[in-house]
Amino acid sequence: MSAPASRSDNVVVRIVDLHKYFGELEVLKGVSLDVHQGEVLTMLGSSGSGKTTLLRCINLLEQPTSGEIHVGGSPMGFHIDARGRRRPARGAQLNAQRAEIGMVFQQFNLWPHMTALQNIIEAPMRVRGWSRAKAEDIALRLLQKINLMDKRDQYPARLSGGQQQRVAIARALAMQPKVMLFDEPTSSLDPELVGEVLAVMRALADDGTTMIVITHEIGFARDVSDRVVFLHNGLIEEEGAPDDVIVNPKSERCRRFFAGITR
Amino acid sequence: MIEKFSELAKDLDPAVFWEYRAVLIPGLLYNFYVFFLTVGVAVGLGLFVAILRLSHHGVLRAVGGLYAEVCRNTPEYIALIWIYYVPPLLIGLAIGRNISFSPLLAAVIALGLSSSGYFTETFRAGILAVPKGHVEAARALGMSRLATMQRIVLPQAIRHMLPEAMNQFVSLFKGTTLVSLIAIPDLMYEVSLVTMDTDRALPLYTGAALIYFVLILAMTTLVRKVTDRMRKSPRMTG
Repeated sequence: MSAPASRSDNVVVRIVDLHKYFGELEVLKGVSLDVHQGEVLTMLGSSGSGKTTLLRCINLLEQPTSGEIHVGGSPMGFHIDARGRRRPARGAQLNAQRAEIGMVFQQFNLWPHMTALQNIIEAPMRVRGWSRAKAEDIALRLLQKINLMDKRDQYPARLSGGQQQRVAIARALAMQPKVMLFDEPTSSLDPELVGEVLAVMRALADDGTTMIVITHEIGFARDVSDRVVFLHNGLIEEEGAPDDVIVNPKSERCRRFFAGITR
Repeated sequence: MIEKFSELAKDLDPAVFWEYRAVLIPGLLYNFYVFFLTVGVAVGLGLFVAILRLSHHGVLRAVGGLYAEVCRNTPEYIALIWIYYVPPLLIGLAIGRNISFSPLLAAVIALGLSSSGYFTETFRAGILAVPKGHVEAARALGMSRLATMQRIVLPQAIRHMLPEAMNQFVSLFKGTTLVSLIAIPDLMYEVSLVTMDTDRALPLYTGAALIYFVLILAMTTLVRKVTDRMRKSPRMTG
């Protein structure tokens, strides 16, 4: 399943020497990473390792301090201001680029004043400019896929956490993004609801969706991902096939991390 | 003593009110007219200044904050008189011509400014109550700032702020009874004219008081009902 790393024409996300400071604190210390078409990449690491910041830099929810990010071949926008500092790209260009990147949050972030269906069709209609008929057609097919057709007209408050997260995944997929980002999608779920969300993500991976996933579900990382990246202190500590990194980690830190969570 | 009271009681005749309905009812309608115009100004300005107060720019935030403080800490009575007399004078000086505000214009500006200060705070609190993640979800999907505000933030903010806003509408309506001060022909103004003609202060002022009491009681009851219903709605939670 893994895309050959030697070919560069099928790179969907390219991150080059990314640095990010929060004030004085350097959270990312020069991360470079390519993610290929159809690849499932899992990012692991303890809290504070910078993995969430890295993910949020990809769609510029966080503005990198330096370095470059390309998604689908186009650089994620920035401009240099009068004092020579990087400034966030504004307006239409950034919005158009973000539309190509799906994101799933730990807290679901469904809009509570809209039904499941309305949550899914909002951005396709507003951002893509699709007709209601087209947007609903795609939304209903996605609802079918995540097995929530009967909940289409329910408000989020009436859905379980697992159902909300599945709708949130459908909402991101409805835009037909080039890559899906998952920021600890099961971390705020009750244990019995984790499985249904992971099942949807497995199905996506099987369909060839390009995915970058932050998770603490080691089973998922090992079974589903093509590649695992272990972050520590804002740097990639170890990277490779899931079995190499998870089962036979080279670095001592990595070994301790996996020993700690698989025990 | 008792005789005097019974005389007064006889005088407390609702028929007097009915007799003068031709002037009193339009007077009351005028209150509503002023009220609706003022609501438009107060809500519009309130939202605008709330967005200023939430801006990334320190200067805009400070201007918005100063505006809200001035509006909220000026009594409506003072605002009404001041707006009626002073700005026309200043504008007149500036353009070298005598101008004046119509009482209606002055009333709508004064009451509008005055209560927009409160609406600013209400909108601001409503907008801040919307979780940041909801905004991030919209922005991550490529929605513009404006679309995010219109479609995601404001609908939720308005639900949060509605109970508070409706209370402010009620006090704004109470405020419209001040406009007779600058000779706007509202209910109080008409009542005072009729009283001057007939010297029957007791039935007329009591009648006016009762009408306001019943109307405002009806409004606050409605506010309570709507608020209770919204608390139970699934759209408010989650």
